[in-house]
Amino acid sequence: MNQPLILIIEDEEALRRFLVPTLTSQRYQVLSAATASEGLAMARSHNPDLVLLDLGLPDRDGMAVLQELRSWSRKPVVILSARNQERDKVRALDQGADDYLAKPFGAAELLARLRVALRHTLQADVEDPVVCGGGLRIDLGRREVTLEGQAIKLTALDYRLLEALIRRNGKVATHGQLLAEVWGPGGAGNTHYLRIYMAMLRRKLEADPTRPKQFITEPGVGYRLDLDARGD
Amino acid sequence: MEATSRPILVALGSEAQSLRLIHAGFRLARERSAPWLGVYVDTGHGAATEDAEQVQVWMQEAQRLGAEVQSVEAPTLAQGLADLTRRTQAQALVLGRSRDRWPWARLGHSTADELLRRGLDAEIVILEDRPPSSRHPSPGIRLSAMVGTFLVMTVCTGLAWLTHRGGNLSLVLPVYLLGVTFIGYQWGSALGILASALSVLLYNFLLETPRFRQAATHWPNLLFFLLMLLSTQLMIGLLRRLRDQASEVRRRELHTASLYLLGRALARSLDPDEVATTAAEHIRRVFKAQAWLLIPEGDGWAARPGSLDVAALPTPAELLPRLVWGEQAGDPLEPVPVGDAICLSLMGTNRSEGVLRILPGVGEPLHPQTWELLKAFAVQIALALERLRWLEEARKAQLESETERMRSTLLGAIGHDLRTPLAAIHGAAGSLLLPSDMSDSTRRDLLTMIQEESERLAQLLGNLLDLTRLESGAIQVQKEWQPLEEVVGSALGGLERRQGALPVQVELPESLPLVPLDAALIEQVLVNLLTNAQRHAPGREIDLRAWEEPGWVHLEVADRGPGIPANLQERIFDKFFRLPEAGEGGVGLGLAICRAIAQAHGGRIQVQDRPGGGSSFRLALPLDGTPPPPPEGAL
Repeated sequence: MNQPLILIIEDEEALRRFLVPTLTSQRYQVLSAATASEGLAMARSHNPDLVLLDLGLPDRDGMAVLQELRSWSRKPVVILSARNQERDKVRALDQGADDYLAKPFGAAELLARLRVALRHTLQADVEDPVVCGGGLRIDLGRREVTLEGQAIKLTALDYRLLEALIRRNGKVATHGQLLAEVWGPGGAGNTHYLRIYMAMLRRKLEADPTRPKQFITEPGVGYRLDLDARGD
Repeated sequence: MEATSRPILVALGSEAQSLRLIHAGFRLARERSAPWLGVYVDTGHGAATEDAEQVQVWMQEAQRLGAEVQSVEAPTLAQGLADLTRRTQAQALVLGRSRDRWPWARLGHSTADELLRRGLDAEIVILEDRPPSSRHPSPGIRLSAMVGTFLVMTVCTGLAWLTHRGGNLSLVLPVYLLGVTFIGYQWGSALGILASALSVLLYNFLLETPRFRQAATHWPNLLFFLLMLLSTQLMIGLLRRLRDQASEVRRRELHTASLYLLGRALARSLDPDEVATTAAEHIRRVFKAQAWLLIPEGDGWAARPGSLDVAALPTPAELLPRLVWGEQAGDPLEPVPVGDAICLSLMGTNRSEGVLRILPGVGEPLHPQTWELLKAFAVQIALALERLRWLEEARKAQLESETERMRSTLLGAIGHDLRTPLAAIHGAAGSLLLPSDMSDSTRRDLLTMIQEESERLAQLLGNLLDLTRLESGAIQVQKEWQPLEEVVGSALGGLERRQGALPVQVELPESLPLVPLDAALIEQVLVNLLTNAQRHAPGREIDLRAWEEPGWVHLEVADRGPGIPANLQERIFDKFFRLPEAGEGGVGLGLAICRAIAQAHGGRIQVQDRPGGGSSFRLALPLDGTPPPPPEGAL
């Protein structure tokens, strides 16, 4: 069976030494590059299924690499960001990166993110109208939401927000993306709308809204809907 | 002795001109970077007439401008100066023309001429007397004054005629006297003299009988005219002086009051911006002119208050020397016209703090009479700026020593805290690499330890970085209005995802308003507080509550741990401070970060004993600014 090919563009040797064997042991095919130019050349020649891209590269700005990748490929890109790059992180996500991992990250976290990102491509054409997880069942075709079998009433905006999160398929959605999808172009800048609706959605759909398990806040970035999490 | 270091001598006396000599000497000394000497020659017979106190004042002024002062005794001025010039090997001698008291001394026998004849090896600079500026420029005779004169004379003549007809001759003279005095006082001496003559003629032609007699041939008439002229001029002079004195007193009072007000306002100013605003306001009130402070910044100017096109101004390198050396007078405080405006150097104790630029209002020219007050203003402003600069320098020095002290504490603490986990990781990795038949469980233990210790290292480094960035201002607090619930959820949810369920009771009223906060930072405060609570009272209930109070939102994390001794409740927020009984884990940065974050939000964090045991940490966040509008069609 053809295993997904992952391209790592990361200048730090220590991280490559950790990433390559970790991914290989999970039966991924792995390519690695230490510079932006090398990475872009490999991306063109091998057309990987996923790119792990470090934002702090020596020869070129990570953002520029992302833009170039996006100019010809829709394959998932996961950003590796250092602690002081919060703003770059959001910019990268808004410009088409699929997800991010903040350093330092553990192997389990890395593999979980890769699975989510790859699921997106591998199942892109499978349109399942029913999404379930953690006691939630959402029928996108009939616009019905049930929690533990109980039908939940959602306002139109609640539902649009929920839908936007589901479309991300477990990946993070930035404030800007959600505002644009739910409120349209006029919503930009009104992050507090989003926060208020998110709080209402949590009150309706989370067992304990002060300990969200599924509607997860990514501080300074946005939100992530993790339907696989067990809502106990 | 080299020419450049040979001194410049300035001959001082008690006259007002000495001030100009001092400034000229100062300027010359600055230009040639030479030392300079203020000299007073005591010729013995002059000492009685010359005001010794005034000499002292000039000597002090010279000293203020960096001169050495000296007083010598000699039979003549020229002798004394010549001796001193030779003795000090002076390169130049500055003196004024008016040092010679008698007019004939100027005809080839002046002190300067005599010095020249003595063939001194020094340049002799003679400052001419400045023509005394007329204090009251006589206004041209205006039409209104002529008409006024005519009217007054008519009224006087009418009155005189009436009294004359009544046979009372003695009243004629006082009537005219009063009229002419009034005219002279009101419209100037020219019209006064004219009125005197006119009154004699009028008296003659209209009142004397028989009329049309030749006025000038009649000697009592001439006497009458002369007396009239003399007495009116005398009275006018007295009245004028009285008026001048009164207005001078008023002016001084005004000067003193405005200086006092400025000084008091400046003393309260806390930064250069405030100084500039205060100065501009006072100058606008007193001089009806706009004012800016120009403070050198890099190669250009920083103009305060408000905006000013500084690019159009001469650069500091160009303008400052012009002002400091004085353009003509050599007075470092003399106002100098630059373009439409007037500039004054803001001379502090030993250097210029900047420039005061004054733009007179339209139709409100700055009269040279007000320059003295303007200079006094400039000195006050300069001293205020200097005081602030010194304060700032002292604060910087203190900060530097503080930073230095912190750095050594930091190094000591980090050294230990970094080395311990590193040693453990290094050791464990080493033994894993040894060829041995280690059991799988031992191997797992070692690997787990490596993971845990490296996590601890990462946390320590992260905390250190955060704290440094918070304290240096590298982290900008990005406040956004948001529900507290989200931050609490993010902190608690995150902790529980990593460590499993925590015994935390959350109590957040649904009525809580949106709070302006930086979510990532406040989340860290909560994580630190919850982690601490858990560490000091493992397994025991933790309460997390929030409530609103006008202008503030309070967030409390309360535990049932051993509590914190009252005398340490402030210190636990210090960097690297750990409770003596605290066990493993933690490096004493968590609470310091919490405090830095609270302060960056304009809020505060405190700890207090909790009734029933344990401690309660309270974070207060200000509800400042206007909350955003609620979403359309919501709620």
